[in-house]
Amino acid sequence: MAEYRVVGKGIPRKDGIEKVTGEAKYTFDVTLPGMLYAKILRSVQAHARIVNIDTSEAEKLPGVRAVITGKDTQGMKFGFVDTPRYPAEQPVIAEEKVRFIGESVAAVAAVDEDTANKALDLIEVEYEPIPATFDPEEAMKEGAPQIHGEQVPAPGRKCAWQDWGVARAARSYNPVNNIGAAVNISYGDSEKGFSEADYIRDDTWVIPRTNHACMEPHGAVASYHPLTGHLDLWLSHMGFELKRYWISKTLEIPISKLRVHKTFIGGAFGGKAQVFDHEIIAAFLSRKLGKPVKLILPRDEVFTSTNNSIALKVNVRKGVKKDGTIVAQHVKLISDMGAYRGSVPVCLFLCHSMRDSIYNIPNLTHEGVGVYTNKSTTMAKRGHGSQQMTTAIESQMDWIAEDLGLNPVEFRLKNLRKKGDVLANRDTLNSFGLPDCVKKAVEASNWKEKRGKLGPGHGIGLAVSSMFNGSGYWPFTAGSIVRMNHDGTVTLYMGQAEFGQGPTTTTCQLVAEELGLEVEDVNLIDGDSELCQFDYNNFLSGGMFVSCKACLVAAQDLRQQVLKVAAEMLEEDAEDLNMLERRVYIKEDPEEGVAFDEILRYSIQKHGGDPLIGKGFCKPVPEIEFYPSLSKGSGRWTDAYSFTAAVAEVSVDAETGRTKVEHIWVGDDCGREINPLICEGQLQSQAVMGMGDALFEDVMFSEGRTINANFVDYEIPRAFDIPEITIIDASDPDPNGPFGAKEIGECARAAVIGSIVNAVYDATKVKVDSLPLHPEKIFRGLQEKAKV
Amino acid sequence: MELAKKWIKVTVNGEPRELLIKPNITLLDLLRDYLGLTGAKMACISNSCGACTVILDGMAVKSCSVLAMQAEGSEVLTVEGLAEGDKLHPLQQAFINHAAFQCGFCTPGKLMSAKALLDENPQPTEEELKRDMEGNLCRCTGYKKYIEAIMDVAQHPVKYSAKEG
Repeated sequence: MAEYRVVGKGIPRKDGIEKVTGEAKYTFDVTLPGMLYAKILRSVQAHARIVNIDTSEAEKLPGVRAVITGKDTQGMKFGFVDTPRYPAEQPVIAEEKVRFIGESVAAVAAVDEDTANKALDLIEVEYEPIPATFDPEEAMKEGAPQIHGEQVPAPGRKCAWQDWGVARAARSYNPVNNIGAAVNISYGDSEKGFSEADYIRDDTWVIPRTNHACMEPHGAVASYHPLTGHLDLWLSHMGFELKRYWISKTLEIPISKLRVHKTFIGGAFGGKAQVFDHEIIAAFLSRKLGKPVKLILPRDEVFTSTNNSIALKVNVRKGVKKDGTIVAQHVKLISDMGAYRGSVPVCLFLCHSMRDSIYNIPNLTHEGVGVYTNKSTTMAKRGHGSQQMTTAIESQMDWIAEDLGLNPVEFRLKNLRKKGDVLANRDTLNSFGLPDCVKKAVEASNWKEKRGKLGPGHGIGLAVSSMFNGSGYWPFTAGSIVRMNHDGTVTLYMGQAEFGQGPTTTTCQLVAEELGLEVEDVNLIDGDSELCQFDYNNFLSGGMFVSCKACLVAAQDLRQQVLKVAAEMLEEDAEDLNMLERRVYIKEDPEEGVAFDEILRYSIQKHGGDPLIGKGFCKPVPEIEFYPSLSKGSGRWTDAYSFTAAVAEVSVDAETGRTKVEHIWVGDDCGREINPLICEGQLQSQAVMGMGDALFEDVMFSEGRTINANFVDYEIPRAFDIPEITIIDASDPDPNGPFGAKEIGECARAAVIGSIVNAVYDATKVKVDSLPLHPEKIFRGLQEKAKV
Repeated sequence: MELAKKWIKVTVNGEPRELLIKPNITLLDLLRDYLGLTGAKMACISNSCGACTVILDGMAVKSCSVLAMQAEGSEVLTVEGLAEGDKLHPLQQAFINHAAFQCGFCTPGKLMSAKALLDENPQPTEEELKRDMEGNLCRCTGYKKYIEAIMDVAQHPVKYSAKEG
């Protein structure tokens, strides 16, 4: 393996000083002169017609500057998905009716938060309740309450994908039986496959909604300048592009007049990707009043009114030969979508595509529907699709192995794809560290000595997962600039958002490596839509592979320019030169060289003022123009996959059914660790988050009302819950990754959940069919077993 | 009805302050809205996440759940008062060395909880530390690295007092 100076080193994060001193300014910390404070009135009805909204008393309250309702934002629709097939259907503020408890009904801007809250209490909303439906399988039945009528695009309105260059116009969509999204993917011949199988197994899992639980609540500060028409924004986000596109689209402000400023971002995990009603409302109020407006959501509204992860019922039927060869698989999905589509159409597709790179299954059918219910909407969360499917598929793998008397490790290894495999959609596995991940995690955990041998109440389990490295999504490119400074340092302009995952450090490492510099020699400008270039950002884990790579490409461009000028100065060929410590030297005679600052001056003097600026760009999947088909799964998805194998060891208390995770081993293929400290942090993070998913996280509803919308009733792991965690690097460098690197932020969570589920089964032999593994479920299962 | 404002005397990060405030505001509001000290964060307003932790007369408190008036005559230390000039507090340095933060939103609260603990118990066991920090939620780090960072300070006070790392 090549040795690098800066890449591969656990360099302290560049955002450290701001974060440990409290200087880091998050959206919540932004205060502007004359700023007003906004609050949103949320629906208390799950499904009701709005008969009347009386805002007169609220408007009279001293200090109130504006009260708006759906009449003010009439016709403004937004959504994560807005394709020719699936038009965006969520109103900014509810219009004729409300469809979930927590939907926005009115908003107030006032001189302070207390006044805004008082004004909310003075708004009278008259509702006429309509029968509601909360269970997707009930909602699909004939005669169930219909949550949406036909979704007809407004005349002249282009859908987002038309704006982004797709030729097809938006069509109207009629959600018959509340079905708002569907997927149907197949290859090979499933029927024939199952007929050739010696053994068929059919299992169903129910995966609940969980919350992203970012420590920073969602919020926005918007400042509209009435004379210039410019809108300045401070947002808690995962990338400025999608937010500014949607705010521009809904408010019809030219995108070039809209600027998202750099903020520190307090966690995202997928839950801050899409635009939200509160962001559009803040901008709307600011424009209406010509004043800055701040709108921060209280924690309960984060739970009830932004989005949770996607709830799915997953049915998997699998056909296997006696020797353990998988011959067919048929998956059926039903998603409890909530009142609007959120990212469910994407998730239904990802449930297939996130798993397709793992096992070689010759005959496959994957179908699913997203069903409207009167609940809050659902969205991507860290490994979207993979997380839900991995629990179902990997537990079934263990049960099949048990039924056929196969070793679960060997059974998996036998069916894994191979490096170089080309998937049905033409994605190629140019790197494939998964077999190594499995072998190393199994070895490190001493699996052979433990599996089935730990005694009652103790178990060990294995699961594997994979993850995209970016996929076609707005704006389909990442751009970057690296410029030379007077003293031979450089300034890098990076578009992607830092929300904890580390690109402010890792990107600088890539640039420093390429230019022979130290990380301190790289100044960084990031996260500002006006200063930075277009950026694809971190959607579907494209951060390292797409956005960071664009920065590396810009550094490569600058390197070539610097070498060319240096070659002229030294009267040597550029190929005979190298660079280190802010100077270019002759490889054969390292004492001979010129410093970067001299090269810059020479370039300016002799080359018409050229100040040496490197340009770079990168596309998620260079071969395709836009994106794959969500409903058919055709077209290229991603250019590389990351992989994880996780092993978990647990103990289960028979008296209470409570599971304690003792140790998690994470074997991960991230191509190359650019910064091992940050990589470890990402994997530890996912190990602990996955433990929460497996054991206790569940957003619970009663008649459409979220009943645990706070951190007391909705538990996330705490410091004393954490198990031993061992991180194992099993990377296979990808030829298209920057220095071989791939994503490391999302893949592992799914494998960790699956490994805990399998370990609990190994410990108890209790088959559970829903997450989380609440003690009650295990306890009842153990009691049932005792009866038998 | 508007409550009559009241004067409060409080020492914040070593500086005596005298302020006219609404009597119903929290200590967190006082710090953020009156003094512009935005290091302490509001993430739950239900005393359950620890992002707003500051030190009040030597004790770590969740400032979202303490009325400002309760701090009358007291000394408050916030994350902004941890470093001395160009010298980071050992805990701050250790957090950087160990990459003990990711998004950083809950970091000020953790630092203040950890300082209060180490002031009282300079050599905690890892178990004691984890128990003590249970009130500080974190979604990014998985807790591992900041527990290591705090233990590093507890076990190597000399290394950190010499400002190395």
